[in-house]
Amino acid sequence: MRWRGTEGEVKMQIGRFHSWKKVTAQILLLALPTIALAFYLLYNVNHYYALLQNKWFEQGMYFATGIVTAIIFYSYRFRFVTTALLLFGIYFIVYKLLGSISVGEFDAFFVSVKFLIFTLLFSAGWLAGYGFSRSKYFTIIWSVFLLAMQIIVVSKTPEISANALIAAFAPVLVYSFYIIYTAELIRNMNEDEMGFGWFITKRLAGFLGLALVVLFSLLLIFQKDFKTIEHDWGGTSGGKDKGGRESMTKQNRDGSLSNKDQMKLTSSLSKDKRLVFVAKLDNFFPDGKTPNPLYFTSTYYTKFDTTTQTFEEDKSVPYNDLFSPDPSRIPLYFVKTDSNAIRNTMATLNRKIVSADVYKVVLSPNEFIAPSTAFFCQPIPVEGEYKNQFKSAYRAKMWVSDLNSAYFIYNPAGNKSLESFQQQRFEQLRNSNSYQRMDKKFMDYYTFMPRNEEYNRIKELAQNLARSARTPVDKMIAIRDFFTSKDEFGQPLFRYSDNPGIPGLPSASKLNYFLFENRKGYCAYYAGATLFMLRALGIPSRIAAGFLTVDRSSKNPGWYWFYADQAHAWVQLYFPGYGWIDFDTTVPDVNTQQSPQPDGTPPMNTQQALLVANGEAVSVDTTTKRATMKVTKLLYHDEEIPTALPKDLFMDVSIAAITKDTGAGKLSDVKPGTSIVAVSYAEVLKNIEANEMDSVGSVINKIPRPTPIDEIKIMETEEQKKDREKLQAKTAQPFDWVKALWITLSVILGFILLVFASPWLIWQYLNAKAKSNKNPGANAYNIYNASMYYLNQLSFIRDNQSPQQFAEGVDKHFGSNFNKFTNVYQKVKYSTTPLSANEQTLVHEFYEPFKHQVKDKVPFKTRFSKFLNIYNTLHYFTKLKLN
Amino acid sequence: MEQTITEQNIQIDEALENIQKLVENIETVIRGKRMQIQFILTALLAKGHILMEDNPGTGKTVMAKTLAQSISGRSNEGGVIFKRIQFTPDLLPMDLIGSHIFDDVKKEFIFKKGPLFCNVLLADEINRASPKVQSALLECMAEQQITMGESTYPLEKMFFTIATQNPVEMEGTYPLPAAQLDRFFIKIIFGYVDEETELDIYNNYLGIADNLAHIHQVLSMEEILFLQDETEKVHIHQEIVKAVRNIIWDTRRHQDIVLGASTRSGITFLKCLKAFALVNGRTFVTEDDLQKLTPAVLDHRLVYRNKDAKAKLLTSILNKEMDRLSKLKLN
Repeated sequence: MRWRGTEGEVKMQIGRFHSWKKVTAQILLLALPTIALAFYLLYNVNHYYALLQNKWFEQGMYFATGIVTAIIFYSYRFRFVTTALLLFGIYFIVYKLLGSISVGEFDAFFVSVKFLIFTLLFSAGWLAGYGFSRSKYFTIIWSVFLLAMQIIVVSKTPEISANALIAAFAPVLVYSFYIIYTAELIRNMNEDEMGFGWFITKRLAGFLGLALVVLFSLLLIFQKDFKTIEHDWGGTSGGKDKGGRESMTKQNRDGSLSNKDQMKLTSSLSKDKRLVFVAKLDNFFPDGKTPNPLYFTSTYYTKFDTTTQTFEEDKSVPYNDLFSPDPSRIPLYFVKTDSNAIRNTMATLNRKIVSADVYKVVLSPNEFIAPSTAFFCQPIPVEGEYKNQFKSAYRAKMWVSDLNSAYFIYNPAGNKSLESFQQQRFEQLRNSNSYQRMDKKFMDYYTFMPRNEEYNRIKELAQNLARSARTPVDKMIAIRDFFTSKDEFGQPLFRYSDNPGIPGLPSASKLNYFLFENRKGYCAYYAGATLFMLRALGIPSRIAAGFLTVDRSSKNPGWYWFYADQAHAWVQLYFPGYGWIDFDTTVPDVNTQQSPQPDGTPPMNTQQALLVANGEAVSVDTTTKRATMKVTKLLYHDEEIPTALPKDLFMDVSIAAITKDTGAGKLSDVKPGTSIVAVSYAEVLKNIEANEMDSVGSVINKIPRPTPIDEIKIMETEEQKKDREKLQAKTAQPFDWVKALWITLSVILGFILLVFASPWLIWQYLNAKAKSNKNPGANAYNIYNASMYYLNQLSFIRDNQSPQQFAEGVDKHFGSNFNKFTNVYQKVKYSTTPLSANEQTLVHEFYEPFKHQVKDKVPFKTRFSKFLNIYNTLHYFTKLKLN
Repeated sequence: MEQTITEQNIQIDEALENIQKLVENIETVIRGKRMQIQFILTALLAKGHILMEDNPGTGKTVMAKTLAQSISGRSNEGGVIFKRIQFTPDLLPMDLIGSHIFDDVKKEFIFKKGPLFCNVLLADEINRASPKVQSALLECMAEQQITMGESTYPLEKMFFTIATQNPVEMEGTYPLPAAQLDRFFIKIIFGYVDEETELDIYNNYLGIADNLAHIHQVLSMEEILFLQDETEKVHIHQEIVKAVRNIIWDTRRHQDIVLGASTRSGITFLKCLKAFALVNGRTFVTEDDLQKLTPAVLDHRLVYRNKDAKAKLLTSILNKEMDRLSKLKLN
């Protein structure tokens, strides 16, 4: 009976410590990979430190000499301390000699630097060699050291991209795992055993294979995520977007833009100058000719994630008035409306319906963007000559407040009418000063803010600012005035910056940093800070995200051009009765003069569609330019014709312009079964009237065959849309670090748990097998296996004992009957004579009492800890020597 | 047919019981040496001879005497003849074998049988005799007969030699050559008893002689001859035979062993395994037998390159096979 760890005392005598076999194994399997890694690291380090003079090969050789010498040296019984002292003595003497030999100071300096490098590297190699040769835990310390080194090197890397990080850390990580595993393997190998080398090779090949497979598959799985990370970090991929960073919009893979479902506070904002869309907004001041621009909203952020400091969309918001149809799903000229949106605005006063035509350039076809609060969407065709510029278009209708305007912080100076408009609308809004009668749920939701020290500070500031303000709108004006106020030197207190930077502490509140220290930021900071100030004052508010509307055109009143850098965020306040009103508090960017972006020619739509048919293409003849479609919905002279039965429409498509959501198409894109919309502006149809009695069938019968068609729009099928959305989601979904961290942590935790639980799980399996009643022979086998495993796990290890000797030892310790059972087991195994009745009962009655005897002797605590020890289990299966 | 089988079984069971008795019997005199006793009996049942090596005074001679007495009874009454020869450098082969003496009455040379003509021979300190004597003894052991001049004299049917030797390094010894060591089926190292037993022995040292005097016959020569025949019938599993083969081969392949085990050693090994099973009261060989017996049977047949690594080498070879066997699921 041997309790582990009691033997293996080192006899102190001069001679070999390790056999030459072990030394060879150490040099080949430990030193060589280490040297290779050292070369790799030195090669990298030499790029960043001029002092090293880019002699990485030479330096690698110093290290290699050190490590190999030390391994061979310490394979003899030498003490570390004495040899180390001796080494340093030699260094010292050589250093002194160098000083006396070298001529001139300059020379001396370089020689001593060189010598220092040599000393350091040789000593590092020497230490590593000693560690590999003697120390048990050295590999762990060594790996940690290398990783730390690597972090220092990486910090010098000019561009931190995912690829660079992998290149930096993957070799060290793989090496760490390899070296820890291999060193342990070599230490535990008994070199007198036959097939020492073969065994090591097998294990190593297995380990390396596994490591490679794991790494490769991880790379494959996370490749997309890496791309996203790279994108987030502003990596090296492509020059299209300037340095990634945070952007107010998201870019889809097909190059189109969409809104994001969250807005993060980051250190810098990326912008570009692409034209996103053009809109004609039918909103004018009461004078009827001065355009009143409105911000175009794509979504609302009502929630704030304090850990990631990110504003988020919330689908379960109370009184959801966000209307977000997918224009590409609605056939041309057909209408989708949502009356809930109007109802949920809870606005009745000073409201009117305004329409806007939106012509998309790079805005995603699925995207719907319109001033608040939209409730109507009707895709419209793009006039032929503009088709190259504008991909698609729709008309939106909004339930708009008279009191709403883009002008709040941006006020064209000296515009009297605008100033009076502002005064008027503020006056009117002052009427609504009580939220008494509002739904509590609504109020709670829209005035929620996190409670902690940092937000209390915002609250204090807000209360301080709004001391004298009585009504919500006055409080809002007070906050605006705070942002536009000047400091004691007459300089603006707050400035606009796309690169505000972040506080030194990663977890520190960026809003506090913005409000109280840095006072620089882009729209998200202003909107976020305003939101919490308003909420602190009990005013229901939310962040709207979309596009800033700038009136630049005097030629075409009501037409607005939207560029990518106009993506914006602002706050909306709720006024009982008046509804949500936009207020922008982002101060103008004074440093970079806005380069005047040209307004082009607006895509005027003059033609009136006389016939719009929606349905499935039945047949297409590309040579004769004839096509047939099954009409399920029909608009004729702007009237929707009731559909009784689908009817085939024979069409002349020779002059038809084919469009898709993503741009111009070809007639060959129209396949039988495709959902299409056919539009005709043909003069012939003008005179053919439809009456109230007509159905789709009768109208089609009235009109000439083939019907001349001017426009065919191919609708996306459901699968195509899904594919595209998937593609977009892949690139655009922000990488959720917290989630990734949790997943990684839980996977690691699960793995660790599994590793620790595996001895117990194996025991459960063997125990269950031992308990199952089979014929006595098989039973004896199972019981013996289970018992041996149990004893092994409790550190009663057979090792070199014969089964009987072992069993005798066990019996002596536990007072059990294991020896007799072992004899029966051996009889079952090696004899042909069947078991006698006595022996059979012994088999049956052995197991349970035996377990009890063992349990009685070994306290639960010991058993528990021993069962956690995976090494015992490994030993049971591999018979590796463990000391 | 059935009748005979049962009859035989009873006989075997009785004989096996008697062996246990014999072991216990000897143990009353030689304490704490159960394993050595079992090895000696194994050699006896395998029709082989045994070599005991250790320092003087560890109980080798007493052991041999006790064994002989337990078979033969006190004054050779059971027909078992026990002889003891103390080997000295000046011993001559004739002193062992016997010699032709001129008979004055018959006027012819008659053969005067030497001490070799016995059932149990204790050859004490065999390595102190000259090689000539050694080889004469070993030849007899192998051939079971003595040839003198023209006539051949067969030895007893049951002829069992217990040879003892002092460690080779001691002065005044002639080491046995490897080829001759091969004749001994088993070589055991007697070793010292553990501390407690030693104390026990000191307390009862007067009793040893007394105990020896009270040793009586527990196993007759017929039974031993019967058991020697039975040894051949012991069941040995094919996997164990394979294991023996592998061990033998591994000793030949191992680079730190100059001379590996021969095929004859393998056969001896198998015989010993079977006998050892009987000694342990079994009619089948187990891995246990293999583990316990391997060093005793093989160690003295191998020539090692490095004497220090001796024990480790054979153990590592054996462990490999033991691992294999313990993982096997037979039947």
